[in-house]
Amino acid sequence: MNIVLRELMSSRKSLIWWSVGLLAMITGGMSKYGGMQSSGQSANDLFAAMPKSLQAIFGVSTLDISTALGYYGLIFSYLLLMAAIYAVMLGANSIAKEERDKTSEFLMAKPVSRSRIITSKLAAAIILLFLFNLITFLLSAMMVNYYDSGAEITSKIAALVGGMFLLQLIFLAIGTSIAAVSKRPKLATSIATGILLLTYILSIAVELSSKLENLKYIIPFKYFEAKYILAGDGFDAVFVILSVVIVVVLINATYILYQKRDLNI
Amino acid sequence: MNMFLHELKVNRKSTIIWTLSLVAIAVLFLSIFPTIEREGEEFKKVLASYPEGVLKAVGVQIDSITSFLGFYSYVFLYIMLCGAIQGMNLGMGVLSKEIIGKTAEFLLTKPVARKEILTSKALVVVTSLLITNIVFMGAAALMANIVAKESIDYQVFFMISATNFFVQLMFASFGFLLSVLVSRIKSVLPLSLSTVFAFFILYMFGSVIGEKAVRYLTPFKYFDLAYIIRHSGYEAQYIIIGSIFIVATVAVSFIVFTKKDIHTV
Repeated sequence: MNIVLRELMSSRKSLIWWSVGLLAMITGGMSKYGGMQSSGQSANDLFAAMPKSLQAIFGVSTLDISTALGYYGLIFSYLLLMAAIYAVMLGANSIAKEERDKTSEFLMAKPVSRSRIITSKLAAAIILLFLFNLITFLLSAMMVNYYDSGAEITSKIAALVGGMFLLQLIFLAIGTSIAAVSKRPKLATSIATGILLLTYILSIAVELSSKLENLKYIIPFKYFEAKYILAGDGFDAVFVILSVVIVVVLINATYILYQKRDLNI
Repeated sequence: MNMFLHELKVNRKSTIIWTLSLVAIAVLFLSIFPTIEREGEEFKKVLASYPEGVLKAVGVQIDSITSFLGFYSYVFLYIMLCGAIQGMNLGMGVLSKEIIGKTAEFLLTKPVARKEILTSKALVVVTSLLITNIVFMGAAALMANIVAKESIDYQVFFMISATNFFVQLMFASFGFLLSVLVSRIKSVLPLSLSTVFAFFILYMFGSVIGEKAVRYLTPFKYFDLAYIIRHSGYEAQYIIIGSIFIVATVAVSFIVFTKKDIHTV
């Protein structure tokens, strides 16, 4: 419990900064919706006939940005990117920082097992992610409801944010497992962010080429896309199962690998 | 000169990795081009059934984005994103690593002025980025030669590619300044990554909502690649503002660093 509290305290400041970022992104983005509401630029049948790759380059999508919720879907893709960056760095840092800051000797000399330490750190990280999502949900629901009210909206946003939470759990687990196995703490954050960048670049490439379609199973950004959730299709069961499997495997790997590793004191 | 060579050697591995990554991204995206070209051709046939006005307006756009340079300038953004992270990491890490690694004491007791240290560090940043860009341009030109059927205007191609170097320099100098101003940097990557992505999201979102002011705010937007294709030239005012920004940040870094208290262990 002490470790959980200690972790929460040390991550307090960064969570506040990220919340400021979320606030700016959501309120700033949605306030633009108010301005363009009247012009009503919905995708017409011409754009609908366009191949997917050209749609991506043109910057049009199946989201109907003339409604507040559709416009929010547009912002949401950037929120996903922010959320993933936050989660992957949180995961990699929470484990790697002890060795980086030379505090691992102190921590390991305490009468707690390594698995206890990981459990506490993971618990703290999940609490932080939960807060991150709660803030995102509250801000989003408030802003979208301000422009367009309805019972549907809040539940749709809850579904989107739920997807974001799963995405964050995946990236958190990627971060912790890399930090658990990597002997050099600095390298752990680099590799974790490298994976994040790679999956992001691939997610763009998949949009451009239908040949790469099958790659979407290894790209978490493609698991919970706003355009499918908002269209009422809900979560794709395949991706939910896949996320759970990835998270469970990587978290297990974190426990096993970290317990066996020689620490860099 | 010693410091310069030593620093260059330290950065060798990361420069190689970054260069290879940028080349890999370029190869990945450019290999998609033939598909895009074909889909563009097919879509133009679909367009033939539309009224002439639509045909003209959209047809011209289709032609420009499915031309090689049009497609290159679209995907170049993602190359710039990675380039910017490299630049910011390099600029921020080159000084702060002495403090983080507790080698500042060793370095600063050598019979060299702080100005000389800064000069050689700044030169290393420029050299590393220059090497990256030269290799990248060569590889990208080669790839372009392979995928493009029509002949490419290489002057414009290199002008577009060179914008990466300028954007990298802007982020590197900003990182340089931050590393001098921020008193305790624990690790470079989280800070540089969040800064670059903040500007990137600002860019992406700015272009979606068509905000004019964003052009001056985010370095990603300093070069309108469509303008470069049309006029085979840069927009002078942005080059001037960018250069002033670089000179000013480096100058302030010099002034602050020569007077700053450096905390050793």
